[in-house]
Amino acid sequence: MHDTSDQAAVHHHAPPKGFLWTHVFSLDHKVIGKQYYFLSLAAVVIGMVLSWIMRFHLAWAAAAIPGLQHLSQVGAPGGILTPEYYLSLLTLHGTLMVFFVLTTAPQAGFGNYFLPIQIGAEDMAFPRLNMLSFWVTFVGFVTLVSTLFISDGPPISGWTAYAPLSALGSDAGPGLGRGQILWVISIGIFCIGSLLGALNFIATTLDLRCKGMTLARMPYTVWAWFITAVLGLLAFAVLLPACVLLVLDHVGGTSFFIPGGLVLSDKLQPHSGGSTLLWQHMFWFFGHPEVYIAIIPGIGITSHILASTARKPLLGGSRVLVGCMVAIAFLSFTVWGHHMFISGMNPFSSLLFSVPTLIITIPASIISLNWIGTVFGARLRFHTPGLFAIGFISVFVTGGLSGFFLAQPSLDIYLHATYFVVGHFHMVMGVAAIFGMFAGTYFWFPKMFGRMMNETLGKIHFWVTFVGVYCIFMPMHYIGLAGNVRRYSAFVDDYLIPLIPVHKFITIAAFVTGAAQLLFLCNLFWSMYRGKKAEENPWDSTTLEWTIPSPPPFDNFGGRHPIVYHDPYELGVEGAKGDYVMQDSPEKLAQS
Amino acid sequence: MSESTTHDLSKAGMGWFLKIWAVLLFLTAIEVFLAYEDLPLHIMLILLMGISIIKAALILAYFMHLRYERSTLAWTLLPAMVFVLVMMVVFFPDSVRIERLGQFLH
Amino acid sequence: MSESDITLKSGRADWLGGELPYAIPSKKLGMWLFIVSDSITFGAVLVCYAYLRLASPNWPTPFRLSSIVNGAVMTFVLLSSSVTMVAAVEAAKHGRIAASVRWLSATMLGGIMFDILHIREWLGLIHEGLRLYSNPWGSSLFGAAFFTLTGLHMTHVTVGVIYLGIVAIGFHRGKFTSDDVEISGLYWHFVDLVWMFVFPLVYLLSARMH
Repeated sequence: MHDTSDQAAVHHHAPPKGFLWTHVFSLDHKVIGKQYYFLSLAAVVIGMVLSWIMRFHLAWAAAAIPGLQHLSQVGAPGGILTPEYYLSLLTLHGTLMVFFVLTTAPQAGFGNYFLPIQIGAEDMAFPRLNMLSFWVTFVGFVTLVSTLFISDGPPISGWTAYAPLSALGSDAGPGLGRGQILWVISIGIFCIGSLLGALNFIATTLDLRCKGMTLARMPYTVWAWFITAVLGLLAFAVLLPACVLLVLDHVGGTSFFIPGGLVLSDKLQPHSGGSTLLWQHMFWFFGHPEVYIAIIPGIGITSHILASTARKPLLGGSRVLVGCMVAIAFLSFTVWGHHMFISGMNPFSSLLFSVPTLIITIPASIISLNWIGTVFGARLRFHTPGLFAIGFISVFVTGGLSGFFLAQPSLDIYLHATYFVVGHFHMVMGVAAIFGMFAGTYFWFPKMFGRMMNETLGKIHFWVTFVGVYCIFMPMHYIGLAGNVRRYSAFVDDYLIPLIPVHKFITIAAFVTGAAQLLFLCNLFWSMYRGKKAEENPWDSTTLEWTIPSPPPFDNFGGRHPIVYHDPYELGVEGAKGDYVMQDSPEKLAQS
Repeated sequence: MSESTTHDLSKAGMGWFLKIWAVLLFLTAIEVFLAYEDLPLHIMLILLMGISIIKAALILAYFMHLRYERSTLAWTLLPAMVFVLVMMVVFFPDSVRIERLGQFLH
Repeated sequence: MSESDITLKSGRADWLGGELPYAIPSKKLGMWLFIVSDSITFGAVLVCYAYLRLASPNWPTPFRLSSIVNGAVMTFVLLSSSVTMVAAVEAAKHGRIAASVRWLSATMLGGIMFDILHIREWLGLIHEGLRLYSNPWGSSLFGAAFFTLTGLHMTHVTVGVIYLGIVAIGFHRGKFTSDDVEISGLYWHFVDLVWMFVFPLVYLLSARMH
């Protein structure tokens, strides 16, 4: 029997002692996964509150938001948002959501917790690095949120931090001095945490699979986390130097991204020679793979849960799904310019980017059709995780469809920077990816906490959210087509005033949907302590996480080394006990 | 203490590594010599990049032992890295654009 | 789906789970992955440098022969330190701990010498008026690109020297294995490899041609 214990990085470490080592600086991937998850939760709550403030202001621009003046006297005198502070909050909203929610919870949260278990390992390949990655990310989070409390507030340059606005310093506007520097430092720190995490995931997936866990037998979620980690390793490597160059423009007097001849407040800026397009290229070269980093784990989680919900593996099995995810990952490095169609970039490059952007819709469509085909005619179990997984299909398709339009430069000339784009990316990232997180939460909560979440509250949460997000984001496509520009804090132009009632509708929908999220939070925290006790396998699922107690012991498998005999989704199997066969069951299938 | 099983396949002793070192120094000398030749920039760039890639390949293959590892390791790491680096070349049409646009101004 | 679905050719059995597919310790794979990522980071900075240089009509070429010679000496030092590093790894693999530590120290010395030559050069250029934001010869981006690129590389060399020191001490005390020496060697060779690109693209392409 081959003993890989001295070569593989698994540490047979004893359970930690003491509060700090058990709960704060734990090396246990399960604790670290939960830490990431709750960090994301904090980020999403702040991000959501920011969105409420913005949505309120968009609907009732002249009304005061009580208490806001205490956060920023200059930004919200008397509680009424200034246009600049609107942009500051918008920047923080986007940055928090994209980095600390969408790039964190689905991958570092669920991935850290379940990747090792699903491949039959005791922990990640590098537990200490894992712990470090979390705390690095945490420092990044604190740095970012601190911008709310400095005198000038967060930067007004958006989560995309376009130059030259983001590079010129405080002369260019509020929050662009210290706020921008803190933003850049925060994101730079986040890059490092992500890179270290990506490294860990890749090494773990390749090296620590248990006996019998071939690549073909890995659950869809493991494939998704693995592919996402590869994307992260390659993409964050480009954002990091971009941040270094940007911070040098602030503190070193360099002009990497600042062209000559700029006059601010009657002062000619002492910069020249730089290129604003260069920032956009560097940023979006990272930024496009980033959005796939945000969604691919959700695709994996949805597929994983759908199989369990529909009591059958996906059509075509792992091959089709993984093939499509790999195609998407590969293509994601070829399409970044579609964010830059009207930036002044070489127009031939636009053609070069438009074609792969349209091509990337193909694997995404195959996956969507695959899901629909899997669900069609299946005996579905309509529990809350199943509902969110099926809901994911709907919102992912809706969000993806608007992408087809934006992929074409001729249309994007009109649609760029309108609410059409806002509707598009919120549907795919702000809704679909979040649905993936909800699905994962409801599905894996029993395993993580040993208790069930309340099913009734879950169903209410689902339906209100599902209807609510369509009420919020569908109208955005229409007002975008009508020409509604994004990142405006108020609508005073003639062609925009008639659209304000739509904004009011969206805002009210946002508040109602937000309330449902509070319901979710209550369910989450209440169930952690008072939920019905969960069994080992409440969903009759087949992958390895359902072969261990809820919650799992310190070393996941209680000292045994699982051996895998089956594909990950032997569901709906005739003649099997229940209608499923666990991956590690030595029981042979009739047709193998 | 574990040894890489492919270690036995590497060439015997330090002699081989010194040969590689000598080749690397020689290639560096060529590069320095080329720097003082009056060549058009794009030719110079191609030659220097080409030689640098050869030097990098030698370091990767021999000093870093990649040639003697399982071939799947190189196939896993290198194509992804090269692909990403090559994709960044698509930035360049925009670097000369501003200057070239100037010719349309009067 | 059965085991025959695995299509990788070399060592098919490596991929069936319960094995290390590349037959290297996970730590070593981790270092390779880090190298891939850091290569892309350096690549991105080099691309930025090239981009800005191509976009600037007045890019200076200020490096006198003495600077180029200095750069060539630095290249020689770094390449030689890679050879001493290989010697350290060879010694470690054959259990010759003391010899390995000596070779590691020689490598560190090479790194320190590189740093000293580099900083001397920096000081010379600064004395001539080169800054991050200006210089007397041409585009102000020259200093920005030069200091950023070489500074990033020098940081990696310095971190490498510290890393090698920690490994040397640990290996000497028996806390680290020959694998750890080899892994630190990978990092060191990577830093050398990056210099193979920085030297021609930054120095040789900016050599003063008279």
